[in-house]
Amino acid sequence: MKKLLALSMFILMLLFLAACGGDDTSSEGDNAGEDDTSSEESSGDESSSEGDGEWAPSESIEIVAPAGAGGGWDTTARMSAQVLNEEGIIEQDMGVVNKEGAGGAVGWAYMAEQAGSNHNLFVSSSPILLVPLNGQSEYGHEDFTPIANVIADYGAFAVRDDAEWDNLNELFEDMKEDPQSVTVVGTSSPGSMDHIQFVRFAKAAGVDITKIKYVSAPDAGGITQLLNGSADVFSTGVAEVVEQARAGEIRVLAVTSEERLEGETLSTFPTAMEQGIDESFINWRGFFGPKDMDPAAVEYYEAKFKELSDSGAFADVRSNYGWNEMFMGSEEYQEFLDQEKEALKGLLDELGLTAE
Amino acid sequence: MGSIEGILTGFQVAFSIEGVLFVLLGVFVGTFIGMLPGLGPISAIAIMIPITYGMEPTLALVMMAGVYYGAVFGGSTSSILLNAPGISGTVASSFDGYPMAQQGKAGKALAIAALSSFAGGTVSVVLLMIFAPMLANVAISFGPPAYFALMLLGLTAIASLSEGSTIKALISAVVGFMVATIGIDPQTGTARFTFGSTNLLDGIDFLVIALGLFAIAEVCYLVMNRHKSLGGSGKDIGSLKLSKEDAKEMSGPIGRHSILGFILGILPGAGATIASFISYITEKRISKNPDKFGKGYVKGLAAPETSNNAATSGAFVPLLSLGIPGSGTTAVMLGAFLVLGLQPGPMLMGDEPEVFWGIIASMYIGNIFLLILNLPLIPYIARILTIPRPLLISLVIMFSLIGVYAISFSVFDLYLLLAFGVLGFLMRMFAFPAPPFILAFILGGMMEQSFRQSMTISDGNISIFFESNISLVLIILSALSLSFPILKNIWAKKKA
Amino acid sequence: MLQGVNRKIGLILAILTAGYLYMSYQLPTYPYIPVDADAIPKTLGWLLLVLSIALFFAKDQDTEEQKAKRRIPKKDTLALLGVFLLAFIYITFFQTVGFIIMTALFVYFCSWFLGYKNHIVNAIVSIAFPVALYSIFVYMLQIRLPQGILPF
Repeated sequence: MKKLLALSMFILMLLFLAACGGDDTSSEGDNAGEDDTSSEESSGDESSSEGDGEWAPSESIEIVAPAGAGGGWDTTARMSAQVLNEEGIIEQDMGVVNKEGAGGAVGWAYMAEQAGSNHNLFVSSSPILLVPLNGQSEYGHEDFTPIANVIADYGAFAVRDDAEWDNLNELFEDMKEDPQSVTVVGTSSPGSMDHIQFVRFAKAAGVDITKIKYVSAPDAGGITQLLNGSADVFSTGVAEVVEQARAGEIRVLAVTSEERLEGETLSTFPTAMEQGIDESFINWRGFFGPKDMDPAAVEYYEAKFKELSDSGAFADVRSNYGWNEMFMGSEEYQEFLDQEKEALKGLLDELGLTAE
Repeated sequence: MGSIEGILTGFQVAFSIEGVLFVLLGVFVGTFIGMLPGLGPISAIAIMIPITYGMEPTLALVMMAGVYYGAVFGGSTSSILLNAPGISGTVASSFDGYPMAQQGKAGKALAIAALSSFAGGTVSVVLLMIFAPMLANVAISFGPPAYFALMLLGLTAIASLSEGSTIKALISAVVGFMVATIGIDPQTGTARFTFGSTNLLDGIDFLVIALGLFAIAEVCYLVMNRHKSLGGSGKDIGSLKLSKEDAKEMSGPIGRHSILGFILGILPGAGATIASFISYITEKRISKNPDKFGKGYVKGLAAPETSNNAATSGAFVPLLSLGIPGSGTTAVMLGAFLVLGLQPGPMLMGDEPEVFWGIIASMYIGNIFLLILNLPLIPYIARILTIPRPLLISLVIMFSLIGVYAISFSVFDLYLLLAFGVLGFLMRMFAFPAPPFILAFILGGMMEQSFRQSMTISDGNISIFFESNISLVLIILSALSLSFPILKNIWAKKKA
Repeated sequence: MLQGVNRKIGLILAILTAGYLYMSYQLPTYPYIPVDADAIPKTLGWLLLVLSIALFFAKDQDTEEQKAKRRIPKKDTLALLGVFLLAFIYITFFQTVGFIIMTALFVYFCSWFLGYKNHIVNAIVSIAFPVALYSIFVYMLQIRLPQGILPF
């Protein structure tokens, strides 16, 4: 009898906790709901006048972030879903699912199984080109339907404030003489973004890229190694270096964008182009659907993501995270991806990192 | 002097009515999520991010911090009661916590865990408050050679983690290290031992191994003893009573490991898991009765529990003072800052003192709340153990399976969990100790990477490990640690 | 020759190690990297080989207690196999049939199989538990668990 009592107490407690917590979220949900209805009235008319009559989602939409919670893909997915729902751009429920693993390959393998579905989307960026080239994913962008690109991030190359190099050219001059005299650190492994963006610029400057010393340091080890002098150059995303540069700890030799970025500190970073190195690198990020998605559905989502990209709410999100606007529709996106892949393949071939 | 003003502003924020309410909400949600299978601080914070969107930043962050250490606090429950750690930072707590619970002292074990966590959390916040501005340099002082030396020092303790055959302990450790080499090698991008499977490219998650080797293997023994019931009556199980002796025994480890855990927490990449393990083995090595460990010894539970909570505060040092997230959890925390329009970095303390000090000050209250929330619940939670064995077994298996699924959402990992369960069962049957396996797995991967990073930097010159003072000292310590048992033997013989 | 547990384990380990070493030697290497991806696995492989040979020749220090631990009654072996089989079925149909149904079935049948006779409590627990967990995960925390064939 005692046992029974203990057991039912335990279950009661669980239910009680669930109910308590439920209160929290339901009040949140209520708020969100109110927002929904108020903004529906304003924006609902616009979207219906655009004539998306041919296809509309009939059930809840699943967005896969092929990475763990908190990363760039995950935040893009979650924030987009939130804005799409709250602004009433898409009324169907949008749930984000994390399919973490192998730099995205696990999520892509899952998406490949959803071929033909019109209610599954996923977020991806450059790794969807690089990882298959490295031979670590069976599926590349060719196996999916590009829908729209929404944001762009840029990379940066930083050195310690007391480093001997004042600009990118001085660094590359030294590397041309002896590529092994400089240690480059990045977060991801060779053949992935941090490495490749540096290699791309080094190659344009005429450095022997096969001999570059590159160290991969996960868990924010990159900035640590730069600051304590273990490594000389840190190749990373621009957001990672802003605060340290503002504090005068490090110096940004170049950002990978074509033109200077906007922002108090950001605008002080020179581009590689203005230093005479004709190269740029965009870390684009966008949405894809599975293979064989209904063209009408593609058209529907393309229009909705355009609306998202243009919305004020999403502009706020972008500025909070330091992202840039970069919209590409389905067709343009497809072409862009094909070209990028070709260029990246050349680099990886030269480095001996492509899978046979 | 500016910092004293800052501290005062911080307390003002933290002790305001809203401040107190949000801390309370944060620690409550955190403990609750931490108790759920597979959900630790990372998921807890990620779940809260959209909710805090648009909130007042300081209050939101005070709440998020509460969620973070609340989740670490709550994670030890299943580790102690079921041998099924919900988060990786509490695996070491099961070494002595589970045996203690099995002896019918579950309430006591949970109380020790709660008190140690509280003490570790509070002491480390004091350290954080006094030293945070200065500690920024400590966080970045470890280069790859120093990390290698630190991991080496940790691994030298393998012999001390095991009883019986040293050969078997070493085999266990080497196999654990081998398992750590599975997956993509970060230094070259080569996939190692993945058999072409996408599921193995990221390596095997620590919790899959820990739950397999401990929880599932333990389930096997429970199945065999399913008709026996636990010693002690329901009343004793829930009893929180600690004797004076217990309190005395706890005080030593609490003092030591709030400092050790805090320092390890500061180092990017080390974190609560490694801190709790290193604290456990340190405590065992310096103990006068090392053979009491692993059998429900108070010190063996107090040490890792103090340490993992202290490390949690430590992790805020690089995050708040440098903007460097040293772990997956603090990386998500950094994301939370960004959503709220704040950019943590070297300038944060000057630009936003009320955020910086508000978060730190709120941790005092948060820790007190955690204790007040948890202690009264212990008698009820401890009664989980009075659930009839067959039902308990099913629930533990379910808990472990969901725990693993919630980490990776991969069915493959569930099969892997069963496989490690079988391995753990066989290891126990043939007297191969599991702790060295686990230790080598968590330290080995990092040790290999930092070794190879060092060698790349030095162009293959081994002298790099003796160049920096930190790594030199750590390597000398490792050498001493290896020769210590031999010296002890010689000494003992001379005396006799 | 092959008497004693240590000898058998040593031999099995040595064979497995040989496989691991073979795979280590298949790993690709790159120029300009001082310590490549294969270095540590090779070291570990050889180390384990030495250790397993050492184990092979080590004296059996089996205590009676250890021996007793290995003696599993036939009934218990069957129970263990049964539990693993149930867990295996649970995992296999976890995604297609869905979290709630599979968990409920697993908890109910596993407890029953292990000798829990109170069917009413068992049924209540095995339904309440998964439903509670599912609602916490899915509705409260927005973490999706396999929905399976149920409509919610």
